[in-house]
Amino acid sequence: MAAAKPVPVPDFLETSRKGVADADLRRKLENSTGRHLDHVAHMRAEFPEYDGERDVARRIKEDAIGRLDELLIELKQKLEANGCSVFVAADAAEARDYILKVARKAGAQRVVKGKSMTTEEIDLNPALEEAGMKVVETDLGEYIVQLRKERPSHIITPAIHLSKEDIGQLFADRLGIEYSAEPEVLTAAARERLRSIFLGADLGITGVNFAIAETGSLVLIENEGNGRLTSTLPETFIAVMGIEKVIPKLADLSHFLEILARTGTGQKLTTYTNFISGPRRDGELDGPRAMHVVIMDNGRSAMLADPVMREALYCLRCGACLNVCPVYRRIGGHAYNSPYPGPIGSIVSPNLFGSAAAKLPFASTLCGACRDICPVKIDIPRILLHLRWKENVAESPVKWPRDARRARAGVRRFARFAQHPRTLRLFSAIGGLMLRPFAHDGYLRRMPGPFKNWTRWGRDFPAPGARRKPADKA
Amino acid sequence: MSAFHKMIATVKSALEGAPHAPAPHAPPPFAPVVAAPAARPVVPRAQHTRRTELTAQFARELEAVGGVFLGAFAPDDVRARVVALARELNARTAAIGAGVTLDADPIARALEHAGVRVVQPGAISGGGTDDATRAAYREHLANCDLGIAEAEAGIAATGTLAVVGAPNRPNSLTLLPPTNLIIVNADRMWPDLAAAVNAIGAATFTSKRVALITGPSRTADIEKMIVLGVHGPKKLYALVVWPHGA
Repeated sequence: MAAAKPVPVPDFLETSRKGVADADLRRKLENSTGRHLDHVAHMRAEFPEYDGERDVARRIKEDAIGRLDELLIELKQKLEANGCSVFVAADAAEARDYILKVARKAGAQRVVKGKSMTTEEIDLNPALEEAGMKVVETDLGEYIVQLRKERPSHIITPAIHLSKEDIGQLFADRLGIEYSAEPEVLTAAARERLRSIFLGADLGITGVNFAIAETGSLVLIENEGNGRLTSTLPETFIAVMGIEKVIPKLADLSHFLEILARTGTGQKLTTYTNFISGPRRDGELDGPRAMHVVIMDNGRSAMLADPVMREALYCLRCGACLNVCPVYRRIGGHAYNSPYPGPIGSIVSPNLFGSAAAKLPFASTLCGACRDICPVKIDIPRILLHLRWKENVAESPVKWPRDARRARAGVRRFARFAQHPRTLRLFSAIGGLMLRPFAHDGYLRRMPGPFKNWTRWGRDFPAPGARRKPADKA
Repeated sequence: MSAFHKMIATVKSALEGAPHAPAPHAPPPFAPVVAAPAARPVVPRAQHTRRTELTAQFARELEAVGGVFLGAFAPDDVRARVVALARELNARTAAIGAGVTLDADPIARALEHAGVRVVQPGAISGGGTDDATRAAYREHLANCDLGIAEAEAGIAATGTLAVVGAPNRPNSLTLLPPTNLIIVNADRMWPDLAAAVNAIGAATFTSKRVALITGPSRTADIEKMIVLGVHGPKKLYALVVWPHGA
């Protein structure tokens, strides 16, 4: 298998600096995330039950994840009874290989995809393309980033890093239409282009929002209708889901739908909520002849085994935590180098992609805005701290608890110093002078010798100023 | 051991190895959600006012998401309104699925009488569903001006129509045509999502395709600005059937 796991580029510091420096990007992000937050604030104001519904949704997830083994058995059984082929993938490679096998067997040439973060996670498109298939993303935002050969920069708004002018230019260049920055004109152009691709496609692939164990139905939530088309028109349909998407009962679903769109997009309900429970039945005029469901672990059972990490599996992928995150809003999604950016990405990615994403938990100010907006109240800051701790214990030269003792002793020594202002001032002045050669633009980004661990994880330190002379004070 | 059993074993050992420690902020332990009472197909007459309220709320919510509410009509008046809509839209071709509470045939005849070419998937699938039939049907739908279907249920709180697929009422009827008319019976109007899902029932979700449709297809992928009509219908009309004696 040639296509590798999507390896996030290790140097998050560098990519995030690039994001911070891009004033244009920040303006676009502020623009779009601001608009989203207005919608959500409005929705919450007119839906007083919101907070109570969040608790209910969280409880259902706690229950479901707490007996995931039973529910997966029930789901597989029901899906198969409904006529689906179910494949269980332990990791990304197994999932990709199975999808490729199905695609080849069906003789698929033209593949349409609904929006799916899980297939981004396993880097499916390059694998299909390498096998000679033409793969087209059909969600408007995904279509835009695919034309630019980029990754989505947001879980639900893939092209959030682009302005309407950028997209107008892209369409003029790539689709050969006249330049326009009107969203209506651009959307119409994409509709026309994609409609004929839909009608000619022989394989459809989408993700899954919820899988109901009771009925064996996959629930696909969307606004555009591309998910419905992808799962209805091609002769073969493959749905890819993580193991955590299963919920017990049909009656549970409405509790999630009540809050998901409200938080994700500021709607009461998305335009389409599709229940797909099997291939075309006798006498039906549409729907796929064959339906496959790929249920994937890929690091999720390890999250399950960690009691602090576990609640990250409750995530509904609504994308709201990205929009409120002060870090995401400054650096944008691409800086994270993971299909899952933002606060939720920072806690999920290290578990899915290992050491390559291990620094992401440090990309947070721990302000807690993500926890406050989360529709299932995931305590993201708590998990970030947990992951930081794990990362530092595992990888840093700090030996636990020997170094904890040392640190305490150091603080005690400092306390003695601090009781003698004159000595303290003298040593601070000397220390400041010694550090000056290492400062750039007023910041210490890499400190030397015994201090290097301070800046190692990206904690920039303001350069110590020259000691003020009494004359300066006036 | 199969891959599936291996995964179940992994999940099981993960669960057993780490008994769930609720986060400090977690709400109190799970209380089972009480199921709503069994669905009644017909709203009792005493609930006439309730039905009027629900229909009014449905209309408001539908318009809020960009749909058009045509009004409530007695079963015998539906035909005339559908023909009038086809005229307003200058529709030359239409497709109409079998009804849920309403007979679609008289509507189809009335449309044909008005000069609209009508395809009824019920008539097609009666003659078998080989590849050629399905391709011809899809071709027709992709090029037709108006798709008409009756919903299984309506949801007042969100302006939503629940459409259930069937051989004579295919899913692409509410997906491919640029304009949709969805009819719903006032007796099948429910206050909220939970009630509607419960009324449709788990058996239907298991055996059929269900789509909850809330307004015309839309996107906000360009600068979070809302545009209607991406992949699905650009225009959505809804009409409520008001049964006799109600």
